[in-house]
Amino acid sequence: MAGIRSRQADQWLALESPGSDGSWGCRIESVGVKLPAGRLATRDLIGQTSHRTRIQLERLTGIHERHVVGPGENSFTLAAGAARDCLAHSQRRAPDIQMLISTSITRSRGRYTQSFEPPLSLYVKQAIGATQAANFDLSNACAGMLTGVFILQDLITRGEIDCGMVVSGEYISHLNWNAARQIHSLFSKQLASLTLGDAGAAVIVERAPCGAGIEVIGFTTLAEHSRLCLAFPSTVGPGAQMYTRSRTLQKVAIEDMAPLVAEVIGAAGIDLADIDYLIPHQTSARAIRAGTQEFARRLGARPKHVVVNLEEYGNTSSTTLFVALHKYLEEQRIHKGDRVMLLALASGIEIGMAIFTVDSQVDRYGHTH
Amino acid sequence: MGTRIEAASAVTSHGLRKPTARRLADAAARTCLAHAGRKPGDIDMLINTGIYRDDNMGEPALAALIQEDIGANLGQPPLGGHGTFSFDLLNGTCGVITAIQIESGLLDSGVIRLGAIVTSDVDPDHGDPRATLVRPAGGAMLLARDDDLAGFTDFYAETFPEYDHLFASGLVWQERHGHRLPRQAAGQHALVIDEKPGYEARLADCAEEASRRFLRRLGLGWGEIDLLVPAPSSPGFLDVLTRRLGVPGDRVAYVPEDLDGTYTTGPIAALQAAIRSGRLGEARTILMLAAGAGITVTLALYRQAPP
Repeated sequence: MAGIRSRQADQWLALESPGSDGSWGCRIESVGVKLPAGRLATRDLIGQTSHRTRIQLERLTGIHERHVVGPGENSFTLAAGAARDCLAHSQRRAPDIQMLISTSITRSRGRYTQSFEPPLSLYVKQAIGATQAANFDLSNACAGMLTGVFILQDLITRGEIDCGMVVSGEYISHLNWNAARQIHSLFSKQLASLTLGDAGAAVIVERAPCGAGIEVIGFTTLAEHSRLCLAFPSTVGPGAQMYTRSRTLQKVAIEDMAPLVAEVIGAAGIDLADIDYLIPHQTSARAIRAGTQEFARRLGARPKHVVVNLEEYGNTSSTTLFVALHKYLEEQRIHKGDRVMLLALASGIEIGMAIFTVDSQVDRYGHTH
Repeated sequence: MGTRIEAASAVTSHGLRKPTARRLADAAARTCLAHAGRKPGDIDMLINTGIYRDDNMGEPALAALIQEDIGANLGQPPLGGHGTFSFDLLNGTCGVITAIQIESGLLDSGVIRLGAIVTSDVDPDHGDPRATLVRPAGGAMLLARDDDLAGFTDFYAETFPEYDHLFASGLVWQERHGHRLPRQAAGQHALVIDEKPGYEARLADCAEEASRRFLRRLGLGWGEIDLLVPAPSSPGFLDVLTRRLGVPGDRVAYVPEDLDGTYTTGPIAALQAAIRSGRLGEARTILMLAAGAGITVTLALYRQAPP
């Protein structure tokens, strides 16, 4: 049994940090993505809005284009494709996966624009041959995948399982079209819907020697602000509509996140300057720059690199962190020994962070480029 | 040391003017906290496992809204404060047991000190005679560490995907036809529930197979199970299952009539019935069992004995 890591009274986050008590560690073994072949340029999307808006979306967000699904593709096909890609980069085989968690916000499959039962994770595990894995779905807005890693980390470090997969397939480009029909101006609450792109992502996490892999992972929900971003089924067209008070969300996130980042950094026993790559949730380039500057001002240090990959993908919702990590691994920009911090920010407001050191998984990336 | 059930509460829509999934979950959570003598701020983790809602909101997680409604650690996170982490877990009628497994582990690790599980469902198609699946209800339970109790010791989950077609549900886009006025809705997303004949019988088959396998793995016989806490409660499933397993009626936690036919609340409704009747307190070895779409079967062994 793992040693007890009693929650400290002065701790805001639900925080997991494998201690030096003889328990197991947990590492990210591989990451996979599935990007649909279709692309939609921001210029073309803005050109199709029903009202003449004059919004300079590309300049405001840094998003040049995003991937969009074609006929026959949906949340399930993106998730299954990402899971297969993850296995292709892994030394594990599908039968090794003991738990599979699907964390898509959108769960389109077959005729359903949003399926409820059976869980999407059942179909994904069948599609990849992980037939013996326990499975369930989880929904935590854009923080879903990191929430899945949080859960698997606990199961792994306690020795209950030794390998699990988190997967997500987000077919969200329908929000682009539903918003494009209704947006009148820059101040529309549906503006953030125009930043979305489709993608699938998957991650395998596995048991590691104590002290290796994930150093710390923590989460909290700032529920007082739960209504700053709401999405529900549309009456304009198939799929969903999303209403976001982006400026308030940004303001609250910057204000409240700094002490939480300090808590995680403190739990890892490091300084923000010790982070080689900070991968934040990808919303807009401006918001990420403003947030990073504010952290640096408040915490007196800044990470060495801040990853922004919006130009090509847009905001891919629950998959953004792992799509960005995969891109940097494939481009061999992240090296063995680099310390990476994943920072999830989602409706709720959900804030999640994980710090880990990159190890031999980098050897299995970069050969396709 | 083990995970102890501090309280379990199930509520119906009785008295609620408009029984939304959120209001039912809120009511269940408040009732449960009151029974346990706990404050909302004590909750470290809140998992919502409901499936059928009135608004079908995609984000945020309904759990975050419930956290806000009951007032669990709101406000700005100061250094030295204490927060709550909330999210939704979707595994049909098996969701509550899956959530117990997650929170029990995090309690064991010391990551959390008090876990809450809330759940609720409503029938989104009021007035549709075909949609008789869900009796509006909400449930909540609280889990904490206990040094003197073995608590939840073992969990098991098994899926039978050869029967995945017997029960499926989701939203389907229905375009509005004919002349449409400006600003009028172009269509709607309708909930479609597709249950094939024979589903309940197969549920019983799978639950029997999985529970026998689980107990065999633990080296336990049915005679050693003092109380079975099952879901769903429908006779087509439960009567068949208990007859085949040879579990006498006095060892089964049956739900009262007003909570019969609840959906994800089922396991909590059965637990509440066992608590109220005093049978949970008398039992040393309790088996929780849930079966639902997939077909998925989840099981949890709860031991009220020293660790």
